[in-house]
Amino acid sequence: MSRRADVDHATLAARLAAIAGELRVLVRAGELRSYESDGLPGYHKHPAIAVFPGTRKETVAVVRLLAELQQPFVARGAGTGLSGGALADDVVLVGLHRLKEIISIDADDARAVVEPGVVNATLTRAASAYGLHYAPDPSSQTACTIGGNVAENAGGPHCLKYGVTLNHVIACTVLLPSGDVITLGNADGEPEGYDLLGAFIGSEGCFGIALDVTVQLSRDPQAVRTLLADFPSVDAAARAVSAIIASGIVPAALEMMDAATIQAVEASIYAAGYPTDAAAILLIELDGAAAGMDDDAARVEELCRQAGARHVRSATDPAARARLWQGRKKAFGAMGRISSHLVVQDAVVPRTQLPAILAEIAGIGRRHGVSICNVFHAGDGNLHPNIGYNADDPDESRRVHEAMSEIMTSCIGAGGTITGEHGVGLDKLPYMEALFSPATLTAMCDLREVFDPERRSNPGKVVPVHACREWHGAARAPGAPR
Amino acid sequence: METVQPHTAAVAERIRAANAAGGSLRIVGRGHWLAAGAPCPAPARLDLAHLEGIVEYRPGDLTLTALAGTTLAEIGRATEREGQWLALDPAGSPDGSIGATVATASSGPLASSFGTPRDHVLGCELVTGTGSVVRAGGRVVKNVAGFDLTRLNTGAWGTLGAITEVTVRLRARPAVERSVAIPLAGDDAAERAWDWLRHAVAMPMAAELLSASLARRLAVGDGDTLLLRFGGNAAFVRAATDGALALGRAQEIEAAAWAALRVAEPESAAVVRVSALPSRAAGFWRALSASADAAGGFAHATLTRGVIRCVLPGADTARVSGIVGSFPASATRIFERLPAPLWSEMSSSAANHELSARVRRAFDPARTLNPDIFGGGT
Repeated sequence: MSRRADVDHATLAARLAAIAGELRVLVRAGELRSYESDGLPGYHKHPAIAVFPGTRKETVAVVRLLAELQQPFVARGAGTGLSGGALADDVVLVGLHRLKEIISIDADDARAVVEPGVVNATLTRAASAYGLHYAPDPSSQTACTIGGNVAENAGGPHCLKYGVTLNHVIACTVLLPSGDVITLGNADGEPEGYDLLGAFIGSEGCFGIALDVTVQLSRDPQAVRTLLADFPSVDAAARAVSAIIASGIVPAALEMMDAATIQAVEASIYAAGYPTDAAAILLIELDGAAAGMDDDAARVEELCRQAGARHVRSATDPAARARLWQGRKKAFGAMGRISSHLVVQDAVVPRTQLPAILAEIAGIGRRHGVSICNVFHAGDGNLHPNIGYNADDPDESRRVHEAMSEIMTSCIGAGGTITGEHGVGLDKLPYMEALFSPATLTAMCDLREVFDPERRSNPGKVVPVHACREWHGAARAPGAPR
Repeated sequence: METVQPHTAAVAERIRAANAAGGSLRIVGRGHWLAAGAPCPAPARLDLAHLEGIVEYRPGDLTLTALAGTTLAEIGRATEREGQWLALDPAGSPDGSIGATVATASSGPLASSFGTPRDHVLGCELVTGTGSVVRAGGRVVKNVAGFDLTRLNTGAWGTLGAITEVTVRLRARPAVERSVAIPLAGDDAAERAWDWLRHAVAMPMAAELLSASLARRLAVGDGDTLLLRFGGNAAFVRAATDGALALGRAQEIEAAAWAALRVAEPESAAVVRVSALPSRAAGFWRALSASADAAGGFAHATLTRGVIRCVLPGADTARVSGIVGSFPASATRIFERLPAPLWSEMSSSAANHELSARVRRAFDPARTLNPDIFGGGT
């Protein structure tokens, strides 16, 4: 990591205030408390200073000042991330939520250009006037920002059919940690050269800050139908998932919730009318042309019943569909009633491994005496095992941590990965070496250094730093140029 | 974490040896892209055609892992037996390899709805220009663990690493498929087709506009002709085909026309892709397709992507040069294949030379792999 130039907090704060205004620079511990954590419980890091530029010009000036003074920094959107990626440990935090202009919507080509602080759902609301929407829909979509979505390569339930953030971003104007401004991707034609846009998306704030993002919007479907199937066992629900995927029908979403989640939802204000005696439910959404939808729905229902579904309900009007979705979208909120803290985990396994891994996760929970509930993107094999607990209880926290660690190991063992959409951040750092070889991690470090040679942008995240240093030393002859 | 297989270790050994000797290597898969013509001064070849075979195919997961030299035809045969496919149809022989398809980021009409290789590749193994074996991505359909070396190497033409293995996402074949050809008379053929597509309720899997000369070659029409490929259940395909009648008289065609389109051009052809925002690109069609046809070549356009692919006889370099010079200056031009003498005078406007040059230096500092074959600066 880079050496910081010798500059005291007061001087740095004053110079940042000269750019963004005094009210937009926070230095006192009390003021900074809101920025000590993000969506990941149990982690608290104190930013040295927080600055909130209000324009693109101010943002560029802030980052150029930090470059001049060789100060590390962390960019932050809405702070809804679930891997600790927006935590700033005694470095400058650059909040981007004030950059919230929708610069343009081009209805003909179904494109929008937005600033990074635009909230995901706000973009879709604005696009709806043209019969368009922004497809990636993380559960936090009413709060999370497009800039954060780009940083994390965010997903969401509807990514099964429509793809993740990567598949919807056409170009970005990027502010490199050096202060240089570059364009990645091509908003007016095919992209050329190395896919640096692809590398930037999901780089978790380590490669720079997106000043604006050109996204592809999707046409609103002519028809949408939501099915709710309930099953007497998790295994039966998982078999239905496999059968639907294999049938060639691509649902817009295919979500599973287990009994613990159903009960938490139904006991909360978000009650969606899920059957509380079911071992698992599947929420299946079909969308597209009205023609053929009856047949697809009938086929999905048949596949669910063959797998052992007790009932299959179907909703087509928007109010009834919204109610079915409410329980899914607000499941994490519903769990908040039960315990003070909630770890929303994220891992992926090959879809055929779902029944086995869900049984394994249940066993891990029992062994460690923690209650795990599952609500996840079954169609993608993207698990979200969640554990409610009290983070102030050291023994319970330890057991939760051990259970999570075992779950990660099991998912890796099943041929999966440690994160499907939340990112590595701080939380998943310990597992990177179990997933990737030293040579692969070194290659990732090398790529980071292309964008940020001084490693000042979001230091200490994504790739274990110790690993990079050792391997860099080993890979290069002493005295060789870097 | 997996151990390095002997075949990959051999590739790494070869690259390290070339590196140590100050030499360079031209990566060769099935050899179909050699005629792309970009001058590659490497005297020695790194042959990867023997890296052949499907390593793992789990139909239930809709993922497939194959060694880089495996042909698209072989992947097609294996997946067809399970009612699945890799929904990529790049121009060229089906004997082209999956490694080259990913390295060149080649796609065809199906990209209209399924995307380009970056949207299909889940992971890959590659050997960098320093001989380091990297396993990027994974074998699951959703994965954000670490920085995206998979996207970085997709379309990098092997200049950051020689791809030795690829994992791709498959799709289930639709229950019913149907293709139609619609003749589109008039100067605004592309605009009308584009306008219909962007409002169509039942979207085709592929929608490709062919110039008159290409339509005649494929025996699907006699003027500008729109080919549409629909897939879904029977009711959807019926309604979708009926919907296309709004555009003109639709004539059902054999699916074989799509295969014929992929191999319509000779390897000696010069191929340039002109692209822009779809709404703008439609306006370029008339002039581009007319000049390609008049030169004895042809053109076809993936309208939803705003890409017009101009195929010109490569022998007459002066004429190719003249036609390319007449392309709209505001459009993006990508040279897919050119006769060797033309490469030096044609340069694409690849953005971010500086950052691209740094990427190259990070992964292949001595320019051991495919020197000069691809932009990316010096």
